[in-house]
Amino acid sequence: MQWSPRAPRDDVNVSRTHPLSEAASLVLGIGFALFALVAVAWGTLEIAARWLPYDVESKLFGGLRPAVGGESHDTRPHDDAEARRVAVQALLDRLSSHWPERPYALRVEIVGAREPNAAAFPGGAVLVTDGLLRQVRSENELSFVLAHEVGHFRNRDHLRRLGRSTLVGLALAAIGFGDASAAATSQPFLLLAGRGFDRAEESDADRFALELVVAEYGHGAGAADFFRGLPDAEAGLGVRVAGWVSTHPVSEARIEALEAFARERGFAMQGSLAPLPEALAHDRAEP
Amino acid sequence: MILTNTENVPGRKIVEFFGVVTGSTVRAKHIGKDILAGLKNIVGGELKGYTELLQEARTEATERMVAQAKSVGANAVVNVRFATSSIAAGAAELFAYGTAVRVE
Amino acid sequence: MQGLGALIQLGLPLLLLVVAYFTGSFVERRHYASIRRREQRARRLPVLAFRDVPPGWEVQEAALVTGTVVISLDHFKRFLANLRNLVGGRVVAYESLLDRARREAILRLQESAFEAGFRAVVNLRLEGFQVAGQGEGRGTAAVEVVAYGTGLRLARAPGGPEA
Repeated sequence: MQWSPRAPRDDVNVSRTHPLSEAASLVLGIGFALFALVAVAWGTLEIAARWLPYDVESKLFGGLRPAVGGESHDTRPHDDAEARRVAVQALLDRLSSHWPERPYALRVEIVGAREPNAAAFPGGAVLVTDGLLRQVRSENELSFVLAHEVGHFRNRDHLRRLGRSTLVGLALAAIGFGDASAAATSQPFLLLAGRGFDRAEESDADRFALELVVAEYGHGAGAADFFRGLPDAEAGLGVRVAGWVSTHPVSEARIEALEAFARERGFAMQGSLAPLPEALAHDRAEP
Repeated sequence: MILTNTENVPGRKIVEFFGVVTGSTVRAKHIGKDILAGLKNIVGGELKGYTELLQEARTEATERMVAQAKSVGANAVVNVRFATSSIAAGAAELFAYGTAVRVE
Repeated sequence: MQGLGALIQLGLPLLLLVVAYFTGSFVERRHYASIRRREQRARRLPVLAFRDVPPGWEVQEAALVTGTVVISLDHFKRFLANLRNLVGGRVVAYESLLDRARREAILRLQESAFEAGFRAVVNLRLEGFQVAGQGEGRGTAAVEVVAYGTGLRLARAPGGPEA
């Protein structure tokens, strides 16, 4: 028996598939399947959001206290913070009284974030940031922002948003980005989900908000002030939020759309502005 | 190509040997089959999907080993062994190795 | 600010994948170069999967010899393998890992046998173990391969063309 040392072919145990082409086919294939799945679920959610009975929504989300990032910049005593909340709540109650079909009580929560922002959450929570309270210059301006959120409740956009962000979060978690538990609340995923509402939803909410504000004050003066204040605030952050991330129609376009809607309905857009409630008055932005 | 799991090929004489040849492949379980297997696990019995999957993978590992044996000019692989090792959750390696020889 | 956060949260994993792809393939190429070079030298020491000593070999001494190695998958290939796990099929990402691990283990077996004065190894056995990532399937995928066999000290080199 003879020993003949020979090197066997050493490439048979490794496929010739290049890792990058394997990556491309896997990512595209799984991405496509996931996309199809998400699209179907998305459509289902759109319908479900429209038909979910209000009492079921209240039961499901009534206790929801959305956790939002950003520590409070408010150094004042607790009583004062409560007074501010009560003041905003009173304003919200006045506005939503013009929406008689309102299915449940809306509740204000103030969160300590610098960005001027407000959001509607399932179950009736309206989130208002410190930054918003600091920026508004009149009650009318704040009212319009609150009424805009009420508009989201009326159109049930908040349910759709929750569904979308959860979906996108889950889809991302499925391919290994992030984890499913954090998906629903994670900010970047909300951003990816088209930041919640799409433009058509924003415009609808704007129109409804103007109706509420006009019903409350008799005119729409000050309503668009929030949008006028925005570019400055964005510039102040040092980050120019470009159109592609921001689903809110660009400020000027929204102002124009509002004015057109006011003309169509014959709403007066001039009038005297109501000052901010006492508890909020010192919150005005320093010049 | 003659494959045996004995030391030699019965009835024939080994005249030359070339060393160890190996063949391996890695397979991941199919998600659908996994769910079916999970259900089957409750009642017990053969997991047909897995039998096929592993058999197909073992055939490939053997073919790869044979390709190595051919490349050194062998006409038989003796003392063939199969091994299965789990290298990550959900993936299994099927591995075959033996000594490449030339028989009369 | 949100945009920046999203960029970091999504961009960082992507960057990690790109970096892992380049470092991973560099490490793999270097390892393969080393394996091929050493296999050239090690070929003089026959390693056989025979249980018995081939006839005609005059054995002076025999003892167990082993070669072991633990190799981990790079992050990029682990990502590929995780994706592959979703759909099933051949896991290309693991093939080179196992190929390297096995050849390295056999090489180490040969090298340690040679240092101990043995000139052949019979009854080679190979075992693979998963040493990490038993958990969720997203952990580190690392394998240990153990090659073991019986080293033989021979009165003269195994018969062959050059002996």
